[in-house]
Amino acid sequence: MSLVLLAEFEREEALVNAVGQLGERDYRVIDAFTPYEVEGLGGLLGASPFRVRAAMLIGGLGAAALCWFVEWYSATLGFPFDSGSRPPNSWPVFPLFPFEFGVLMAGVFGFAAMLWSTGLPSLNHPFFDSPLSDRASQDRFLLAIDIPSTARARRTLERLLADMGAEAIEEAEL
Amino acid sequence: MTMAVGGAEIFPAGTARPGDDRRLTRVNTNEAVNVLVTGPLLDSERWRRWWIAFAVSAALTVIFFGSMIYLFVAGIGIFGNNSIVVWGYPIANYVWWIGIGNAGTLISSMLLLTHQRWRAAINRLAEAMTLMAVAIAGLMPIMHMGRPQYFYWLAPYPNTMGLWPQWRSALIWDFWAILSYLLFSIVFWYTGLIPDLATLRDRATTRAKRVVYGALALGWRNSARHWHIYQTYYRTMAALATPLVCSVHSIVGLDFAASLMPGWQETIFPPYFVVGAMYSGFGMVVVLCAAVRWGLRLEALITMRHFDIMAKVMLMAGTVMLISYATEWFSGWYSGRGVDRRFLGFEFAGTYSPLYWIMIFCNCIAVQAFWFRSVRRSLPAIILISVLINIGMWLERILIVWNTLSHHYVASMWRLFYPTLWDWLILFGSLGFFAFLYLLFVRFFPVVSMHEVRQLVREETAS
Amino acid sequence: MSAGTEISRRAALKLFAAGAAVSLAGCSRPYEEILPYVDMPEGMAAGEPEYYATALPLGGYARGVIVKAVEGRPIKIAGNPRHPASLGATDIFGEAEIMALYDPERSGTIRGPNSISGWSEFFAELLARTDKAKSGAAPLHILTSTVTSPTLLRQIAELSGQVPGTRWFAYDPAGGAAEGARLVPRLDKAKVIVSLDADPLGPGPMQVVLGRRFIDGRRSADQRMSRLYAVESIWTLTGANADHRLALPPAGIEAIAMEIAGRLGGGNAPPADLPGEARHFVEAMLADLKAAGQGALLLAGGSLSAAARKAVDDANRKAGAPVDRIEPPQGLPHPEALGDFLASLYGGKVENLLVLDCNPAYDAAPGKTFADRLEAVPFAVHAGCYDDETAGLCRWHLPLSHPLEAWSDLTSADGAVSIVQPLIRPLYETRSAHEVVALYAGQPTPSGHDIVRATWRQDETDEAFENWWRGTLVSGIVSGRAPKSSSLSPAASPAEALAPEDAARTPPKGGFTAVLRPDPTIYDGRFSNNAWLQECPKPLSKGTWTNVVSLAPVDAQALSVEDGDVVAVASVEGAVEGPARIDRGQAKGVVGLTLGYGRLRAGAIGTGLGYNARLLAPGSLGNVVAGVKVIRTGRRAPVPSTQMHFSLEGDLGKLLPEVTAGEALPGAGKPREPVPSLFGPGPAKDPYSWAMVIDTAACIGCNACVIACQSENNIAVVGPDEVANGRAMHWLRIDRYDLGDAAEPRHGFEPVPCMHCEKAPCEPVCPVEASVHDTEGLNVQVYNRCVGTRFCQSNCPYKVRRFNWFAYNSGQEYQDLGKEPMRARFNPDVTVRARGVMEKCTYCVQRISGARREAEKTDTPIPEGGVTTACQDACPTRAIQFGNLQDPASKVNRLRADRRHFTLLAELGTRPRTTYLARVRNPNPKLAGDSA
Repeated sequence: MSLVLLAEFEREEALVNAVGQLGERDYRVIDAFTPYEVEGLGGLLGASPFRVRAAMLIGGLGAAALCWFVEWYSATLGFPFDSGSRPPNSWPVFPLFPFEFGVLMAGVFGFAAMLWSTGLPSLNHPFFDSPLSDRASQDRFLLAIDIPSTARARRTLERLLADMGAEAIEEAEL
Repeated sequence: MTMAVGGAEIFPAGTARPGDDRRLTRVNTNEAVNVLVTGPLLDSERWRRWWIAFAVSAALTVIFFGSMIYLFVAGIGIFGNNSIVVWGYPIANYVWWIGIGNAGTLISSMLLLTHQRWRAAINRLAEAMTLMAVAIAGLMPIMHMGRPQYFYWLAPYPNTMGLWPQWRSALIWDFWAILSYLLFSIVFWYTGLIPDLATLRDRATTRAKRVVYGALALGWRNSARHWHIYQTYYRTMAALATPLVCSVHSIVGLDFAASLMPGWQETIFPPYFVVGAMYSGFGMVVVLCAAVRWGLRLEALITMRHFDIMAKVMLMAGTVMLISYATEWFSGWYSGRGVDRRFLGFEFAGTYSPLYWIMIFCNCIAVQAFWFRSVRRSLPAIILISVLINIGMWLERILIVWNTLSHHYVASMWRLFYPTLWDWLILFGSLGFFAFLYLLFVRFFPVVSMHEVRQLVREETAS
Repeated sequence: MSAGTEISRRAALKLFAAGAAVSLAGCSRPYEEILPYVDMPEGMAAGEPEYYATALPLGGYARGVIVKAVEGRPIKIAGNPRHPASLGATDIFGEAEIMALYDPERSGTIRGPNSISGWSEFFAELLARTDKAKSGAAPLHILTSTVTSPTLLRQIAELSGQVPGTRWFAYDPAGGAAEGARLVPRLDKAKVIVSLDADPLGPGPMQVVLGRRFIDGRRSADQRMSRLYAVESIWTLTGANADHRLALPPAGIEAIAMEIAGRLGGGNAPPADLPGEARHFVEAMLADLKAAGQGALLLAGGSLSAAARKAVDDANRKAGAPVDRIEPPQGLPHPEALGDFLASLYGGKVENLLVLDCNPAYDAAPGKTFADRLEAVPFAVHAGCYDDETAGLCRWHLPLSHPLEAWSDLTSADGAVSIVQPLIRPLYETRSAHEVVALYAGQPTPSGHDIVRATWRQDETDEAFENWWRGTLVSGIVSGRAPKSSSLSPAASPAEALAPEDAARTPPKGGFTAVLRPDPTIYDGRFSNNAWLQECPKPLSKGTWTNVVSLAPVDAQALSVEDGDVVAVASVEGAVEGPARIDRGQAKGVVGLTLGYGRLRAGAIGTGLGYNARLLAPGSLGNVVAGVKVIRTGRRAPVPSTQMHFSLEGDLGKLLPEVTAGEALPGAGKPREPVPSLFGPGPAKDPYSWAMVIDTAACIGCNACVIACQSENNIAVVGPDEVANGRAMHWLRIDRYDLGDAAEPRHGFEPVPCMHCEKAPCEPVCPVEASVHDTEGLNVQVYNRCVGTRFCQSNCPYKVRRFNWFAYNSGQEYQDLGKEPMRARFNPDVTVRARGVMEKCTYCVQRISGARREAEKTDTPIPEGGVTTACQDACPTRAIQFGNLQDPASKVNRLRADRRHFTLLAELGTRPRTTYLARVRNPNPKLAGDSA
């Protein structure tokens, strides 16, 4: 948890512009809050979807492999039987179940990884205490910047933000 | 099709056609989107027409579940099936519903992957349709079973008999296909909803709504970092959904094609089932779009251009269907096998042939009207043709079942199917249950993906 | 699967079987000693089946049977190989007696003048009446159907001595011709057989024997195979199995009979007036007959006049035709005819009447006249198994025991006598016919056992008699002695029946000629309440649960009647209504009716089905009624049928190929080429590979296999509505196809059980391993594993699977079939299937398993013939053979190499274990051009 300055912008361009400028001036931009995905911004802020990708790959392939194993095991070792003179290991028909279930598990694992990566669910996040937070889901673009250590620097930052088009600046906890 | 296609017409003022602009002609701000979509949800005053529809659908739902309970008590003999035509309405209903269920995912995933941004206005509608259609489709095989209480025996689980499912059966593939598809669609749909639920939470007018929507939104706070992870996941899901949806209906096709019966054992079945599914699904999306657009006054968001595009897709699909049928006919004749040629003769001139000709009209002929722009731009015409397509596609499914099972190899066992009251009650009951679920969805969830439309607004206004 | 589950399942089955046995209270062996057919070890294990030889009547005549009983419950009837009228096979009526035994509507209580009563009350009134009878005031009239029981004949004779003035009348409800000697043709010895409206292969007490003999004659080396001509007016099984058939109205047949009998006898009979084609047919037939010499055989049907029958008989005698003459037993009483009884009754002379085991108010003289007269008889007593139409008109109704419950004896149509031993103590307070007659003779507590034994006891030691008695019970056939006869004889002399058929012989004054036949599955109405027989498809029409009015296509067209339209058939005396069936090959101007339906008091199963053809001429037993009208009613009543399509146009002919005698079927007899497979050979098999070969040339379409299978395998009856819905459950069906052409239509039969495909299409599509293959090549269905997806039947090219749409046998039975005694009929070795599961032919896997257990006890392989299926056992013509393909000497292997061997739908590569031999036709070359 840390205190940040939340700056509210009306337009996406202003927010993107601010992120760029603040970065040049060595301000630490903690996060941004936008009513839709601003492409590239998350990556710029250091978010990595690696976990999601890895989880989906592992979950999907792992589930598929498990399914195939279950098929192979049950058909050849667990309960082999004669079904229309087909061999127990009727591999040509085996891929369908692993594929279906693998895709499902990729989705489920990915969802779990997404929650894990984003720390959701977090229903009472302090962000929601900020009066500005409501509009981030509707039409406003918020920027969270680490509060400089000195009061002067903070004033400089606030002025800078106002210049860049920030319509409101509030202190908030993240 | 580029993003400009949808956007250009949707948003700039004055371009909406007369009749479309009763409420709002400019949807060029985020707030306009929010107001349009969340307004009805947060205002309980506007739902009189909804209540009427809901009462009707609830009555049909009672019939549906009442029939189902009677079915489970009295036994499957209440249907018109006989020992020769052992499959009947539930199988046709199943294939039909799962076909409808396909279009939703196709719209959201395939169009997302191909950057068809106009989809943003209708993908939520279509995905919800998918969910409900697949859920109903999933009930049908259970109602079809002789001992429905044991449907779970199709799953591999440790049991005292040491038995496992029989992996060579198309029904096992089918079981997993439906189950996976249903659960996957739920995850996909819910994932898409999360940011919009957050919007609803933040616009909620009562504490109850704020709490419920807030809980459902999982504490989404529109963080750019989250967006990045979220969109990666969502697009990957879309990428996975496309082969999944194709495989699901291919497997439905295999339910028939993996047999050795005349009229079923055809390699064309998997692809033609996928196209057929998309076809009927688009037909249903059109009907739902028209209804929701009218009911929630979303003319500014769902425009005639959307219908125009969907009409073109249906025209393409209907033509593919015609080619598929023609391929079936040709290969049946070209095979030279007596049984296949007899089967063709039965299709065209046998007992069910009037239905077959109606099916060809609905699926292949009626849709050709979409070559004309004026038809594509006429909402009543589009709705009429979409309904015809859905009737035709249902007929196609029941005829696949009936023709083959009625007229197969052994002449002594040729026999016809006569539906009973219960067959019809389950069919129309399932439509009512679908409407019931859909009306609940419309009442409580945002029918348009707001965050995606906002992005679209920004792209349109920026250009 | 662990061993533990195996044991517990077996234990559970045992408990189930025990429970099922206990639930039927009062199911136990009779008090008297009964003797099993094969010697059984001492100390019977519970649940082990026992087999007893006995005999069952049909139309009064015996067919020897072996009854299987488990825990005192008779559950299955098979033929007795030692009995000449059975030869080890059965007919449907014999098989279905199991159903009759447990029929909950069988009469179980005595009904007095107004209420339920008791035997002692009846006896009290009887004594009073007998005194009056003895004084001559009210002589006793006994009315029966055909009686062949030596004991009953003896009792009637003794009774008429005891009570002077006693008169005995008997009739055959099926309307058989009254004759002195019975003629039993040796169809196996004949080379050219001409049936003149006779139906030797049709239903009747000799069907099994005549069917066997006929097919034996066809099987003798191909070149000398017999040839059958049928001249008949409506289709019979004989016509269906004939090489040539000519359809003519009864008058035409009569003329032809006179002509050929005369010309064959060397005389110059006047030529019958025939159209050109029929003339050609008759000339070719005559030439063939003459060439056959002693192998020529004419068969005269009951619709021919006595004169024509005599002419035919003379011709046969002169030619030395192979016919056995069975003379009626000497020294036993002869009954008077029905006509005499009716004359007596209508004359008001009957005051004291015993109607014994027959139902004249339905099957002889239905209608108000008879009913009023019978009701007016002061002391009318009806003794019968059912409280039927006649019982309702009588003062007393006495319940008779079922033949499986009572001691008796019976004579077969070819003269063999059997002792009838009960398998079970009477389920209700019933008595046998012998015991009822003994009551009339003044014995208050008669014992059927003693009465029957008294007939057979000669002057001998107890030990000698006991030895003979026991030996006779074991074998089921009386040998070495004649019954004790009585010198006393009823007052009246035997008289020819009031020849009712004479009316038919006067040329009809326009209108149709109605031809009445016993129904192929219900016979004369005695089996109306038998659900197995009601649901058994009629061999040719495949209709069930009703009788129809068959019409020639030209007549139907003239009347604008279609299949299923209800038509009324009216004679001077009465009218009936029934659904029309247009029968290609029926004689023009003839309307075909069958007996046995139109019951008013048959029970829950049989009441209200069909029409009673006897209403056209009440009081007459003739099977031709001339001058009837046929009227369209405008209503429709489609017949519940198990088959809807009969023609084999195009390449469908491969389903039932036919060869001419001596020819080979193309491609038959060659070893099968291996079918290329992606998967390679299947798993290795055990020492047994079960297979079945069915000779379609030997199938006469009698349905015995169908009912045998139903009995053996606990197959449910579904009722007429469900049959109409296409849900009949028979595991074995007999497909009937149209062969021939419009000029000379013919029929072909093809029994279709499960094919037990080696590459079974039903197996890989089952999601839950309910349909799997066992190591002996059986395609087995695991009922408790089945979830009812029905994919197996969808994918079965032969459509042999049957689905339990309702709990037909386990809670949702048709009518009263779920009532308590009915449940006792089940074979405990076969699961009663639950609702929602698929079932099908198992090759009687329970019998295979039983044989395997026996073989394991002695550590020897199951021998050839060690396992027989129920259908195979029942088949009169031995058309069905079952055995082990791994045994090079087995019969199935030999038949598979036959020149007529074929596989149904071989092109699908399913490699069925059930295969066929093609039908054979032996046409007269001179008539060969008549049909392709």
